[in-house]
Amino acid sequence: MSDLTFIPRRPGGGDDAAPVPLPHYVSRAPYDPYAVDAMTAAQQRFYVASQWRMMWWKLRRHHVAVAAGVILLAMYLGIMVCEFVAPYGVDTRNTDFIYAPPQPVHIFYQGRLVAPYVLGYDSHLDMRRLERIYMPDPQKLQPIRFFCRGGEYKFWGLVPGDLHLFCPAAGGQLFLLGTDRLGQDLMSRIIYGARVSLTVGLIGVTVSLTLGIVIGGIAGYYGGWTDILTQRAMEVIQSFPHLPLWMALSAILPVSWSPLLVYFGITLILGMIDWTHLARAVRSKLLALREEDFCTAAVLMGARPARIIGRHLLPSFSSHLIASATLMIPGMILGETALSFLGLGVRPPMTSWGVLLNDAQNINVVVLYPWLLAPVVPVILAVLAFNFLGDGLRDAADPYH
Amino acid sequence: MSRDLSSERDRWITRRALVACSLLASGVLASVPRTGWAGFLETPFFAQQVASSTLPKVDSRLPAEPAVVDTAGRPGGELRMLMANPKDTRMMVVYGYARLVGLTPSLNLAPDILKAIDVEGGRIFTLHLRKGMKWSDGHPFTSEDFRFWFEDVASNRKLSPSGLPVDLVPAGDKPRFEVLDETTVRYSWSRPNPLFLPDIAGPDPLFIYAPAHYLKQFHAKYADQDKLDVLVKQSSVRKWTELYVRHAGMYKNDNPDLPSLQPWVLKTKPPADRFIFERNPYYYRVDKSGNQLPYIDRVIMSLADARLISAKTAAGESDLQARYLSFNDYTFLRQGEDRNHYNVRLWRTGPGSQFALYPNLNVTDAVWRGLVRDVRFRRALSLAVNRHELNQVIYSGLAIEGQNTLLPQSPLYKSAYRQAWAQYDPGEANRLLDVIGLTKRGSDDVRLLPDGRPMEIIIEYSGELPEEPDVLELIRDSWRPIGIKLFGKPAQLTLFRRRVFSGEALMSIDKGIENGLANAASSPWEFAPTTQQQLEWPKWGEHYETKGEAGEAPDLPSAVKLRDLYNQWLATASQAAQRDIWQQMLQIWSDEVYSIGTVGGVLQPVVVNGKLRNVPEKGIYNWDPGAFFGIYKPDQFWFETGQHPKSASSDATATPASP
Repeated sequence: MSDLTFIPRRPGGGDDAAPVPLPHYVSRAPYDPYAVDAMTAAQQRFYVASQWRMMWWKLRRHHVAVAAGVILLAMYLGIMVCEFVAPYGVDTRNTDFIYAPPQPVHIFYQGRLVAPYVLGYDSHLDMRRLERIYMPDPQKLQPIRFFCRGGEYKFWGLVPGDLHLFCPAAGGQLFLLGTDRLGQDLMSRIIYGARVSLTVGLIGVTVSLTLGIVIGGIAGYYGGWTDILTQRAMEVIQSFPHLPLWMALSAILPVSWSPLLVYFGITLILGMIDWTHLARAVRSKLLALREEDFCTAAVLMGARPARIIGRHLLPSFSSHLIASATLMIPGMILGETALSFLGLGVRPPMTSWGVLLNDAQNINVVVLYPWLLAPVVPVILAVLAFNFLGDGLRDAADPYH
Repeated sequence: MSRDLSSERDRWITRRALVACSLLASGVLASVPRTGWAGFLETPFFAQQVASSTLPKVDSRLPAEPAVVDTAGRPGGELRMLMANPKDTRMMVVYGYARLVGLTPSLNLAPDILKAIDVEGGRIFTLHLRKGMKWSDGHPFTSEDFRFWFEDVASNRKLSPSGLPVDLVPAGDKPRFEVLDETTVRYSWSRPNPLFLPDIAGPDPLFIYAPAHYLKQFHAKYADQDKLDVLVKQSSVRKWTELYVRHAGMYKNDNPDLPSLQPWVLKTKPPADRFIFERNPYYYRVDKSGNQLPYIDRVIMSLADARLISAKTAAGESDLQARYLSFNDYTFLRQGEDRNHYNVRLWRTGPGSQFALYPNLNVTDAVWRGLVRDVRFRRALSLAVNRHELNQVIYSGLAIEGQNTLLPQSPLYKSAYRQAWAQYDPGEANRLLDVIGLTKRGSDDVRLLPDGRPMEIIIEYSGELPEEPDVLELIRDSWRPIGIKLFGKPAQLTLFRRRVFSGEALMSIDKGIENGLANAASSPWEFAPTTQQQLEWPKWGEHYETKGEAGEAPDLPSAVKLRDLYNQWLATASQAAQRDIWQQMLQIWSDEVYSIGTVGGVLQPVVVNGKLRNVPEKGIYNWDPGAFFGIYKPDQFWFETGQHPKSASSDATATPASP
């Protein structure tokens, strides 16, 4: 208390005398609003945590969301190094192994634990049924090799390489999920297909996020006529039935475009249609926030609209935006899958999960080659993961929750 | 077997007595005079109607000289079939295959509805009908029905604005039509008309007769004008001609009231999703024990989605099915065999190539046009297709590899035609492309066109055949080593055709030639520019079709030569000359590689109920010639009753042999 100075009240102060201040202390120390409730370091970290930190804490308690996040992280890491992860190239055909069923991985050999291996196939064409019969041959032990030199590839289409995470034994095969009608390894194709299917969601959402923030931001901030016009435009776009519109738009993509361009075209199409929900959310949030005092303060200080929207308004609900964007990604993944399934999206030789499912459309596959339905699993997994993660994020971002 | 045909045809052309002999000798059909016949057996299906006198007895229903078929079976039963399209009611006209003149299973022509036919010099055709033959409503079938069609339908300006059907006017020469008596009519041309008989025997035949007694009520010349006006108004059409056409669909088979000569007649009024066809009580064929054919009482045709038909067939919902099944379904269908008591057989189809690439010689792009008209370029493309791999991957090696030309079953076949430029040889293909001067290469080692564009060939396809994208994928890979990039572009059928016809499409993939089983008497139209539908030269075909009014005249000497040869074929009546023309055309066709064939003679699964008899184990499943089941006479198929025979015995026989 030494830094508090006691100023005594002047005695006998009359009307004629100069006013004498009441007795008081003046603290010379800097103002500390939390002086009353002093906190331990741990407390301090908790109570003065930033919004992002609080979101993270909440999210961490949502175990399903965390698990989903981990799965997604693994998937996205995987698609960066498809060439390395997949045992075969995306177009590598093994015409001797058409419609080969999945090879199970064994780790016990005569009761002993050994390095994982698969059994090679003896195959013949059953002329009675015209069915290719594959019998695992117990003599053909084919240990899986790890970090091995296998089929050559061009990493990201640029750097040549031949290192794989795992590959078949020399001269052997490794079809963990079986092969399709041209003898292409399904597992490798699913891994390569993920590259398209998973990034479609990200790129598409980026497109619609940009559109949504810009258009919704303008509408919400200015209000009035701008608002009315954009609102009606959004309603018109929303009132289009989605699937036919996608189909129409993807049908006009020129056939001479390379599959890569087509792929970007598709993401653009998906993004261009889906931005309206985000724009709506942005607009309504902005309408509310622009009446807040801090916004008025910024206006009074002479900030321009772009700065006010960008620096003051958006950060106030960016967590909410991220959560809704996450929830939009599965819609886009399904959109791409649906389009490709109908043969209108990504085209062979490019591969996506939808393209793979397109091959599994008929009764023969269901009855005879059920493993070709496997691409459904990653689709479901990715969509569920995004939904759980988005759910967790939304809960975490909600300050009233 | 096809040698029979040529010799038989030669004899036909000479004299009638010989024709009768050859027909008796072939033992397929023979006319037996009514006297001396032990008596016909009443069909159980009609027994009640006959007993109650609502239907005459079988003796008075049959013609005086019925066609006697050397077979035995049991009458009765219902045949279930699955179809995908309401228009498929016409399939019963194809399967029923009652024709004036029809093909036998060995693809010889023989009189069928007709008792006999005399042909003189390939230009005078005298048709002898069966006495006492009747339409399915009991009205006599006579020369009046022919006269009505020729004079009042085909020659009527309003009903046939374009005049007589093209094939009846070879080189603009109209036939002279005469009615000799109630059962004899004659068509004579001043020059041979080799198209006449194949046309009236076709799967979608040229009907040169019509049920006059029924159709006159819709014809302005015969009907009472006021009544006709009322009818026109009731059916909400504009003109009586529309009314007539609507009721006269003998091939469409969509009018249950229209009398018919087919073994089964439509009983359900379209639209419906289940059509019932009932046996024709006045049908003209009997078996050797005196049963009136067909054996089967009713055919029930149910409609289902095309993609579900293989599943429904495997569930035993069809007794006779091949339509909407494809080779890929075979394994699946075999799995259901024992459970649902049917047999799956593999019949060979007739197209010369299941898939063929058609470089469009009329493409509008001048640079490309120059290239595709260069035979070396077409040969290089053909040499670079790995047909063996394609056959193994898609058809388990069971199809026949080679060019888009005749199949080995054809009497005109020479292996050189099929093998020329069809061996996988990328080295030679590369050499040919270098010789043309396409030596510059761009990025990815793709050759450059003379004007610097990369050689990217867009192949358009209609998606009618589900295997097309796979075939393109395989060809894409085999074309890469010769420096050509391939893209597939699906388009809806009409759009696809329009793009090819207009020359916008550079190349297309579609079915190959339809008739890979041709003999000298079959028309070689598919090997010459004769119609716009030919994807390799649509404009030249259009030019021929429209007699020069539209399209472009062919300016490639070899194509002109083919057209001239075709015209010569049309003008000849001699079998030897026809054969000679065919060989010349086939030689040019195979040298010039107008279309790039892949594999032909693909096998077709045919699902047959385990109790259904008389369906051959091996056969040809083909539209023309063949009429699908038509040449095997489904009116002679019959159902066995009692215990279902174990399908184990049939397995051995149904095993397809490797070619």
